[in-house]
Amino acid sequence: MKQFFLLILSLIFIISCSNNDSEVIDYNDNNLSSGGVMINAMSAEPSNLISMIAGDSASSAIASKIFNSLIRYDENLNFTSDIAKSWKISEDQKTITFKIKKGLEWSDGKPLTSADVYFTWKLITNPNTRTPYGSDYTLVSEAKVPDEHTFIVTYDDNYAPALDTWASLEILPKHILENEDVNSTFFSRKPTGSNYYKLGDWVSGQQVNLTKSENGVFGAPYIEKLTSRIIPDTSSQFLELSAGNIDLMNINPIQFKRVFPAKPKLKNRTALYKEMGNGYTYLGFNLKREPFNNKKVRQAINYAINKEEVIKGVLLGLGEPISSPYKPGTRWSDPSLMPYVYSPKKALSLLREAGYKMSADNFLVKDGKALEFEIITNQNKQREMTAVLIQRRLKEIGIKVSIRVIEWASFVNRFIKPGDFDVVVLGWSLSLDPDQFNIWHSSQQGPGQFNFVGYDNKKVDQLLEKGRRELDLDKREKIYHEFSKQLLDDSPIVYLYAGYGLTAVNKRIKGIKSPAPPAGIYHNSQDWYIPKRLRRNELTNK
Amino acid sequence: MSLFKGNLLAIIGFIIISIILFVAIFAPLLSPFDPNYIDINSILLPPSYDHFMGTDGLGRDVLSRMLYGARISLFVGFVAVGIATLIGIFLGSIAGFYGGWLDSIIMRLVDIMLSIPSFFLILAVIAFLTPSIWNIMIVIGLTSWMGVTRLVRAEFLSLRQRDYVLASIVMGTSNTKVITKHLLPNSLTPIIVSSVLGIASAVLIESGLSFLGLGVQAPTASWGNILTDGKEYIQFAWWLSLFPGLAILVTVLGYNLLGEGLRDVLDPKNK
Amino acid sequence: MLIGISLISFFIMHLAPGDITSSEAAFNPKASEESRQKLRELYNLDKPVIIQYGLWLKRMVELDFGNSFASHQRPVLWEKKDGKGNVIKGLIQESLPITLLINLIGIFLIFSVSIVLGTISAVKQNSIVDKSITFFIFVAFAIPGFWLALLLMYWTGVVNQWLPISGLHSLDYKSFSEVGQFFDLLKHLILPVSISMLSGLAGISLYVRNGMLDVLHQDFITTARSKGLKEKNVIFTHALKNAILPLITIIGLSIPGLIGGSVIAESIFAIPGMGKLFYDSVLMRDFPVIMGILTIGSVLTLIGTLIADIGYAWADPRIRKGLVK
Repeated sequence: MKQFFLLILSLIFIISCSNNDSEVIDYNDNNLSSGGVMINAMSAEPSNLISMIAGDSASSAIASKIFNSLIRYDENLNFTSDIAKSWKISEDQKTITFKIKKGLEWSDGKPLTSADVYFTWKLITNPNTRTPYGSDYTLVSEAKVPDEHTFIVTYDDNYAPALDTWASLEILPKHILENEDVNSTFFSRKPTGSNYYKLGDWVSGQQVNLTKSENGVFGAPYIEKLTSRIIPDTSSQFLELSAGNIDLMNINPIQFKRVFPAKPKLKNRTALYKEMGNGYTYLGFNLKREPFNNKKVRQAINYAINKEEVIKGVLLGLGEPISSPYKPGTRWSDPSLMPYVYSPKKALSLLREAGYKMSADNFLVKDGKALEFEIITNQNKQREMTAVLIQRRLKEIGIKVSIRVIEWASFVNRFIKPGDFDVVVLGWSLSLDPDQFNIWHSSQQGPGQFNFVGYDNKKVDQLLEKGRRELDLDKREKIYHEFSKQLLDDSPIVYLYAGYGLTAVNKRIKGIKSPAPPAGIYHNSQDWYIPKRLRRNELTNK
Repeated sequence: MSLFKGNLLAIIGFIIISIILFVAIFAPLLSPFDPNYIDINSILLPPSYDHFMGTDGLGRDVLSRMLYGARISLFVGFVAVGIATLIGIFLGSIAGFYGGWLDSIIMRLVDIMLSIPSFFLILAVIAFLTPSIWNIMIVIGLTSWMGVTRLVRAEFLSLRQRDYVLASIVMGTSNTKVITKHLLPNSLTPIIVSSVLGIASAVLIESGLSFLGLGVQAPTASWGNILTDGKEYIQFAWWLSLFPGLAILVTVLGYNLLGEGLRDVLDPKNK
Repeated sequence: MLIGISLISFFIMHLAPGDITSSEAAFNPKASEESRQKLRELYNLDKPVIIQYGLWLKRMVELDFGNSFASHQRPVLWEKKDGKGNVIKGLIQESLPITLLINLIGIFLIFSVSIVLGTISAVKQNSIVDKSITFFIFVAFAIPGFWLALLLMYWTGVVNQWLPISGLHSLDYKSFSEVGQFFDLLKHLILPVSISMLSGLAGISLYVRNGMLDVLHQDFITTARSKGLKEKNVIFTHALKNAILPLITIIGLSIPGLIGGSVIAESIFAIPGMGKLFYDSVLMRDFPVIMGILTIGSVLTLIGTLIADIGYAWADPRIRKGLVK
């Protein structure tokens, strides 16, 4: 027995001698130079690096560093050049002509031309390609490539979201994929792209390594290698961040506001960034059910919810109220449109107008029926907390609310799709293109479609149809401001909040813009660098 | 109690279980707060006079949640084991009493169920249906009956040959009566021991499921899901991890001690 | 037997509401419903359940579990070569070895440590040593694994940087020498193996202790002692051998428990093993993989029990002699 214990003790001793973290590191070094490794963590492994086929965010996170599209969004969320150096919209707004940069190469050295763009478009519109994203691209009635550096698309009908779709389509190499079956090709594990990075090494289940590409469309980035470690559990991720083994991680409001300030060692080593997030959370009514088909009831509930309180409680203040489904700060978000204020008085008066009276035990009753309903949401701590806060505020004005938390797949299939719910707490993304047709047009109420709340407003339908066809930005802006106003008045949903995106980044990573521009901190990740002395290999004695 | 004299471990186990049962039953009286009361001004407070065990990420009092969590964790344990035991007794008595092809089929079923890693099965079923406290209890019950079945069958097989049983059958007593009056009461020992140990295991399984997000669902408090809430802040809010972890540890320990102690005490072979 | 397992697995899977197309792409307004219906058809999910089961059974016989839905055509079981000689590794092929490694090391450790602990405990029955070992065993049995895992990860990885926190290899693994790689792997595996074997260790140690106690009180031991044999001899040659025999079977029976328990350990420690693969597939409703793992898991268990039975037969001199005759 004694020997056994001695063995254990000596093992512990040996292991503990191999790591030391007692040096003082000077993070003020700002010398720009190329090289270094940046490590981040992913909760899931990418499934397929061909974005049109893969549906998951892990895959697109990696693929977006490898591939380019015709155009992209700049830091202010305006369109700017990517593969295309310029584009022109015809007079009748039905044709877009893209001029492609000359001298572009794939990472294997072969030229990148309009043939690749045409090939990619044909691929995504091919009915045999297993992609859920084809419908936008099938609207193109004709695509032409008059020469190697021109790509022309014509639509039957003006399609305003077109540019947004061309900013998302990642162009694939014709010379590699033309004889492959895109659904099963090995290219999905070993792609050849044209952007800042190329796939270095994919250790299945553990990490994906990207190495810098010298001949990308925009040249080479500073950081030599990007490693994404696959760590499924977020608490393990946070432990790794705390130990300095990963460089960046998305964090939640509590970590941002409470944990980091309390841990001086961690705080000294990590910089925290906040930016406007990419989604908003809302309370959605089932407009096909009583009493939610009554606008006054919906508006009343809107007035009865204290959104500031929700933001303070759920997000610790790290978010903003919104009044339209667009990112605050972009042109589509109308700054003069004010969200519903918190006014229980107004709520009660609206409900009285709708015919409700206060019963003896403080509940609102109409025709003998109490005003009560169930809020359902999926398993998301923030949404649960939000639902509870709403429940309390509604109770104060006499509405009885129960809450149910449901696992995602069941949530979608058993409640949302068949329209079997009262009220939901859910989120949508803050779209970059203002087109909201799929969510709000009355034709989109079929099972599996996104207008599951059942919104039907002819005026809004017209605005949505018009907005889709207006390519002039200023005219388009007016249309969508009007749309937002209608939507806010009708209140089919209650906008609850748009949370901030919070990121913790190790201070060794330099070049991050703060405060973040509308596009977020990652938009210029290719300009980030790690000063020589702060790089991993130089720091430890590994 | 004189049975337990000399068996210290069983006594400790019994004391632990009693305390926890007491706490669980009287949770509403003992809780200083409503376990589901969200207080946005008290998020993640360390233990203090107001909140003996601190608060969690939604400002809820951890002590109250722990007390109500005891109810849930024990409830899950009892019902799951109850289901498993009932199935086990039913199948085991049939197999042990009737023998023959019934026995073979049942034992075959037992073998099949035993070769599928049960946690996988539990995981899959719960993930496919919605995780709810009832689904969890039923599924754990449906995957833990094999042990009881074997034990009951073994007891029956040996008891069946006893004189008084044979006599009873000859006298024309109905089979059901023989089973319920003679065989079952004498097979109680292994059933009891296995049930007690089963509760311990069910509590552990529930906490494991909660870790994976498939356990008792929010906002109902169970020790497993308090622990899961806390793991994100393990470096910062130690109280969220320490108390539920200890509670699970102590409860499972208690049941195991009691179970093992009972086994020692009730086993006639014992020194 | 296997048919029974496959039936149960198949039945369970189709309890599920939703299928592969209900995952991320489902709530993305860019993915239209027609496209998703197209996907469903391509995966045969729209055919009646019986037909799906028949197709599945036919392929299971050839050990062709098909391709995973979620990982877009990565083969479930074994690697496939495409026309150009590129090898796409099978999902189970990649994840099984790691889980097996962890479990085998675990089983070995359980076997050795529990024999030691159980024997000492039994021999020194009711002494302080016995009481503390027993106490330790009970505590180990009762600790929620993932809780202990997080505590240890924090203590050994963040507070004191003794061990890596998660993952299987260090980042500069490739630059290590062979010995270096070996130790690196070892360092990464210490925590996961310890956590996943803890309850097994506790259970088996207790079993050994009880077994030894039983044996030590039997007549032939008293005979041996009265014959004047040295105590050490008595314990090791006579008692131990008899107590260990059932141990082999017990360990065989605990294999499904170990495999099942790997889900949590692998998730926390970011180990790409079969447990984690199973969990992911369940969430993604990736039927081929789920079926594949349930089948393989059961097959492994059967193999394990078989080996245990053979081992028992070999170790038990009565059976061995019987065979020889």
